[in-house]
Amino acid sequence: MKRMLGLFLGVVMVLSLVLAGCSSSETNSNASGNEGDNGSDSGGDKVTLTMGSWRTEDKAAYEKIIKAFNEEYPDINVEFKPSKNTEYNTILNTALQSGEGPDIIQLRPYAPGMELAKAGYLEPLDDLNGIDVFADDVIAAAKSEDKIYGVPLSLNSAQMFYNKKIFEEHGLKEPKTWDEFIEINEKLKKEGVTPIALGTKEGWLLSLGHSIVGPAHYGANEFVDQITAGEKNFTSDEFVSSIKAMDELKKYFPDNYEGLGMEDIRTLFFTEQAAMFPLGSWEIEVLREMNPDLDFGFFPMPSAVGKEPTMTTWVDGSYGLNVNSEHKEEAKKFLEFMTTEKFAKLFASELSRIPAVPGVETGDELVTAMAEASNQYSTPYLMLVHFNEGNPTTKATLETELQGMYLGKVKPEEVAKKLQENAETYYEPFQK
Amino acid sequence: MELESKVNIQTKSKQKKDWKKWVIHLFPIPALAIYILFIIYPLFAAFSYSLYDWQGIKRGAFIGIENFISLFTTEPFNSMFWNAFQNNIWYFLLEMVVQNGIAFMLAYVIYKKIRFAEFFKVAYFLPRLLSVIIVGFLWKLILNPNFGALNVFLNKIGLESWAKPWLGDPDTALISIILVNSWFGLGFAVLIFLAGLQGIPGDLIEAARLDGATGPKLIRKIILPLMVPSITIMTVLTFIHAFEAFELVYAMEGSMGEPYYSTDTLAVYFYRLAFGGSGGADSVAIGLGSALAVVLFFIIASISALFLLVLRKREVEM
Repeated sequence: MKRMLGLFLGVVMVLSLVLAGCSSSETNSNASGNEGDNGSDSGGDKVTLTMGSWRTEDKAAYEKIIKAFNEEYPDINVEFKPSKNTEYNTILNTALQSGEGPDIIQLRPYAPGMELAKAGYLEPLDDLNGIDVFADDVIAAAKSEDKIYGVPLSLNSAQMFYNKKIFEEHGLKEPKTWDEFIEINEKLKKEGVTPIALGTKEGWLLSLGHSIVGPAHYGANEFVDQITAGEKNFTSDEFVSSIKAMDELKKYFPDNYEGLGMEDIRTLFFTEQAAMFPLGSWEIEVLREMNPDLDFGFFPMPSAVGKEPTMTTWVDGSYGLNVNSEHKEEAKKFLEFMTTEKFAKLFASELSRIPAVPGVETGDELVTAMAEASNQYSTPYLMLVHFNEGNPTTKATLETELQGMYLGKVKPEEVAKKLQENAETYYEPFQK
Repeated sequence: MELESKVNIQTKSKQKKDWKKWVIHLFPIPALAIYILFIIYPLFAAFSYSLYDWQGIKRGAFIGIENFISLFTTEPFNSMFWNAFQNNIWYFLLEMVVQNGIAFMLAYVIYKKIRFAEFFKVAYFLPRLLSVIIVGFLWKLILNPNFGALNVFLNKIGLESWAKPWLGDPDTALISIILVNSWFGLGFAVLIFLAGLQGIPGDLIEAARLDGATGPKLIRKIILPLMVPSITIMTVLTFIHAFEAFELVYAMEGSMGEPYYSTDTLAVYFYRLAFGGSGGADSVAIGLGSALAVVLFFIIASISALFLLVLRKREVEM
């Protein structure tokens, strides 16, 4: 029997060695990749740049984009090396701390990305050719202390997607008022269709959902101006009513919504079991891939307080330059390329996303319609653009507190109060 | 002359022996170097990090124990700490009862030489050979509220009211994860207990039998006291494992210990503080994170030592 135990321990040890072997071989391949870079440096003519990103799903598209770049600059190799969304910051931070990291770094938008600039890991890009094509509120996503640290990549919008076929079958039209929106939900529910595909298991879905539904209740940009000036705060009635609206909508969520995450709700929508899907523009590509026959559109969120409907928009990431890069000149060439219309067109058509470079025809009906609506009805993603600071961030606080609200642990007023307490720790307009 | 050379040879061989003795001490160096680099150094690094102020990922001024103070006195850090601490304790208690309790019974049954004992031993150990991440993913699918095997099964046999969003309901999420972890760790505990049982001399049990001890009495009076060494090992290992619980929670509920921090553990909380939380896009607090790591280290080290001290006293010399 002792022998058996020994055998088992042996097996375990061998297995752990194999596992360790796997992980070390991974790092080895990375290391050898770097050596390869150095090797080509010494050759003198070809330079290899690495690009860090959290968009693992965009790899194929970037290969095409890089090919287009190489038509102009055949001597600059660019390697797109994304890592998993949720691990990206950790991997990047560790690399930067040890003076390494990719030459071109995809930056999270607004405050979190600009933390890298504050820590001195980014090269200012104020004099980059072409950086002036971007609108002020777009470039604001990559600005820290009046310096520009990134080339904005794309605009994200969050809105309600809907299944056109289901809407038609049930005789429904895009809602023009909040009451119409509620009527649609009621009708669908009565007729046995899940109205809104949203789950509360993953917090970020909730802050995103609030970014779509919230402005309809707090009164969009007027309130945003007031709160950022410190005239209003999270405990103001306007904001509390937006949290209450989120609470009311739970009647229209799928069964067991407490246990549903991103994959689950996406599945409900593309398998046509749910009629509406409150999510970001980046989902278009995934939905089309999952179900090419899915006929879906979007509508701007109708206001509950008699204002214009809203499209929630923000800048999604930008590309910055590593201050420790050995090939800054070459990297700048690539960043310059990212400000051109050629890049923007390619980016839009390959990824069905709204490029940050303005006035580019995307060649995709839905994306074009969304870009237009975003222009017309734009309201910022309040939490991401203005309140993504603190520890935990106000945005993360909203996420967990909304989760608590859906689980019946906190009331909407308490959610608002928690947000206010959190924001007061760092937000200057609240500290007066 | 002859004598001299003889002496010479002797000293030479002696020298050779000394050299051999000395060189033996060099062999642990590679292992020791790895140990120092990956265990000792990070330990002290974390301790020193915890004494500094951090702006994002940049180290600022030396601030003494201020990080520790804010960890325990400012909201939301202190309530998050106690919430996670409580979950860790649940983790430990439930694992002791469920994982180790069942493992002990299974080990006893196998020890009694049932048929296919070898097969069962391997079967119980199999989950352990999977990566924790795979285990987490697998059970996440099984526990999925709408398409998961468990709820589909419950609905099929007419127990619709039992079907729950297991991982989304704060009342069931932590328990679900602990049970999955027990399933995962069961085989290892069975092995340890089985080894303990097989270490008990057969004649001792025979003697007890002759004296009239049977069934429960035999277990209570003879087997359990002689099993204390294995029980000590499993208790300490379970405790350390429970207070380091991270992988399964992370794989099944993400770095926020969702839903609503109901599955948060100290290690997950540490990860969130030091590396950023939701969606990986959060800001980081390395100072606070390191302070928490230091606290966690002291909790585990001191309580494990206490366990060893108390349980060792109960060990019976054979």
